[in-house]
Amino acid sequence: MSEKRFHKVGRRPYELRLTPDGSAERARGRLPGTKRHWLQWRDVHNPKTLRRERVLVDKKPLWWVIGLSFLVIITPFLPNSLISVVSIFCVYASINVLWTLIIGTAGIFSLATLAVVGASGYIAAAANVYLGVPWPFMLLIGPLAGLVFGAVLAAPSTRLDGLYYALLTMGVAEICRVFVMQLRPLTASGGAITNVDSFIPEDWFLQRPGLLLGFAGAFLLLLGALLVWRLVNSERLGMLLRVAKTSREDEAFAEAIGIDFRRARLLVFVISSAALGVVGAFYAMYFRSISPQIFSLDQLLLLFAMMVIGGLGRAEGAVIGAAVVTIIDKGLITLGPPRIILVALIMIGVTIFAREGLTGARDQFRDFRKRKAGERRAGRTDKGGEAMPEEATDVHDKQELYYRRFNKRLRDRLKELITPELIEEHKRDPLGHHSDALSRVLNYFRRGEMADKYVIHRMIPAEEKFRIMAVSGQRGMPPRVVDDREYTDIKDAYHAVFLLRVNDLLES
Amino acid sequence: MDLGLIIYALNLSAIYALMAIGISILWSSVGIINMAHGATFAVSGYAAWLITGVMKPVIAEMLGNGGLATFAMAGTLVGSALVAGALCGVVIYLLAFLPIHDKPNFQVRALIVTLGLNIAAVQGLLWTFGPRNQGLPKIFGFGRWEVWGTKIRYDQAGTIIGAAIIMTLTLAWLRYSRRGLEVRAMMQNAEGAAYSGISRQVTALPVLMLTGALAGMAAALLSQTIFVSPTAGVIPLVKGLTIALLGGLGSVPGAMIGALLVGFLEAIVGAIPFLGQRYVMFATFLFIIAVLIIRPRGIGGLLDDTRE
Repeated sequence: MSEKRFHKVGRRPYELRLTPDGSAERARGRLPGTKRHWLQWRDVHNPKTLRRERVLVDKKPLWWVIGLSFLVIITPFLPNSLISVVSIFCVYASINVLWTLIIGTAGIFSLATLAVVGASGYIAAAANVYLGVPWPFMLLIGPLAGLVFGAVLAAPSTRLDGLYYALLTMGVAEICRVFVMQLRPLTASGGAITNVDSFIPEDWFLQRPGLLLGFAGAFLLLLGALLVWRLVNSERLGMLLRVAKTSREDEAFAEAIGIDFRRARLLVFVISSAALGVVGAFYAMYFRSISPQIFSLDQLLLLFAMMVIGGLGRAEGAVIGAAVVTIIDKGLITLGPPRIILVALIMIGVTIFAREGLTGARDQFRDFRKRKAGERRAGRTDKGGEAMPEEATDVHDKQELYYRRFNKRLRDRLKELITPELIEEHKRDPLGHHSDALSRVLNYFRRGEMADKYVIHRMIPAEEKFRIMAVSGQRGMPPRVVDDREYTDIKDAYHAVFLLRVNDLLES
Repeated sequence: MDLGLIIYALNLSAIYALMAIGISILWSSVGIINMAHGATFAVSGYAAWLITGVMKPVIAEMLGNGGLATFAMAGTLVGSALVAGALCGVVIYLLAFLPIHDKPNFQVRALIVTLGLNIAAVQGLLWTFGPRNQGLPKIFGFGRWEVWGTKIRYDQAGTIIGAAIIMTLTLAWLRYSRRGLEVRAMMQNAEGAAYSGISRQVTALPVLMLTGALAGMAAALLSQTIFVSPTAGVIPLVKGLTIALLGGLGSVPGAMIGALLVGFLEAIVGAIPFLGQRYVMFATFLFIIAVLIIRPRGIGGLLDDTRE
């Protein structure tokens, strides 16, 4: 027998579902050294086919792997100029990922990220050029400098409110720039330190093998930044901070349950600053020089634009935004100043229209579609939908909705049948042979639900004294008295019940 | 301290106060940190340059070359800068306020949109006019007065007096007009103002136009001392923001005191021989950071405390 075909209808988006062998034992690989699984597979039960299905709950890891391996595969085939664009993209993306950690995870609106990168880059480069420290140690000096600088910067963040702190850190970047420009040994080169030793051999610099090596380093840097992001954001620190994320009440709640969120925030800030120090040292090595340009407001704004375009507070947003802006900024360099205008316009457009940047666009579209569908469904209710749209999406058994619609149409038909003559007919003879219309109405009444169904109560046994009550519909709950009228004739009571029900029908 | 230094300090303070008050009022009433203030500054400078360039032959033909012509020129320059600034305010209103003022995260989003506007405007100016500095006509003329043995340049005096007049007018408008009352109500408590029937949408427009015009005025006055260039707005923006911060965002007297403090600090640091002009920015920022770490709500917070 061939399996019954089901068409894809309804709100469930189409997704790939595996159908595992129900009798086989479940085997899942784990990340070495941890308890985490490689991918989040979930077994679900399909109510239609009654079969077991396996769904990938979180598909982001797949996209990351596809995107990053695409980058690795495609880059060796690119021309020289584009290879350096890709490398710069990797550097910017790693700065952005770490910055996302500060803004998104820690919730500290710091604009001093490039200042940290620049300061640690300068210190590492100075150690190399003036003290003769070999280049591998630059990757140690950089994070140390970043750590110290980050700790100094983080200190006022607990005292100052969000936007105050943002403006303050902007001032810090400016101070760094002015300070470096004023340093006497550097004035000859306009504040830049040049001839920094690098992991790229000197005679390979700006040659194809050197560029490829530079890309390899930048890619590793990006992977490292993503690893730091993962370790901080998705492990203990990030989970603690997620409690105190959105509002002041959440902060109070976090404090009440014993989470020292201020300490956690500072810790995240310092960790990302140290990581930014590595980026700074790498920056100095990659370009073999470092200039005060890194502290400039324009550079900062460009990086900020990347994060905003991609979506503030998400790692994938930081990377996608970096890709978009780097392609426009470095790839279309022949365009001149208009390309920056283009970036600014994209930034404005994304901020006005998108809730959470480009990466949030999918969810936003889905919400929009859901809302529109709800509105359309609400528009259909007067045709007999009977269930409000929000309710209709929540009712699991759709049969129930169709029953309600049927019921509504039936009631509409019955309402037309109710005439004074019909009522008169019932009054004349509550029991007995009725006309077609009256028997239809009575049939409908008899089929009604138990809850609130009217019953006639004989008040004293063997005596003609009745009153009307309504059944509660719940076991153990006594019926309630509808009104205090008493009937001495059972026929009057029958007719009173009939009138009550007619009244209910006409009001529904 | 000699008089020249005081005049120089007052000159700086006047420009800073014009920028900082605009930023401060805008933040406390509408809730936008206006990063496009620098762009407004530059755009109004360029607008004044363009319009005075067009009007110069016309005025020369009509009024000759006397004092009346200079007066007309000054009117044109200041007027065009004010109008251009106000128009920039309208643009900011249309892009950074109207579409997003009722959406979540309005403050951060407005900050981002104004940042984008700033970048776009500066790059647009750079693209259209090139990076060259443009000199505006000197409306106060060249020359100096001798007061108690100190020479005061006309442009310095004009800047101080012009800024003082504009600020007095602004404060009077805030204090005595119906619209000013609404703006002050919004500065005190935006929700309460909304309950008393003050529309945020309607009030935000004049506030943005006013702050834009203030930036335009600052541009017109500063152009008497330095040249106009596409990136001319960056330093006034950063200074204005930090001074508004120093004054405690949202406090007009705080911003004024902050501007005076910073103006004098810069003048004094510039005059000290072994520090010199090179460390001016450095000293300013260190001072502001120090104040903010000690008093996180700035001078305005201090004023509030003393009042209580």
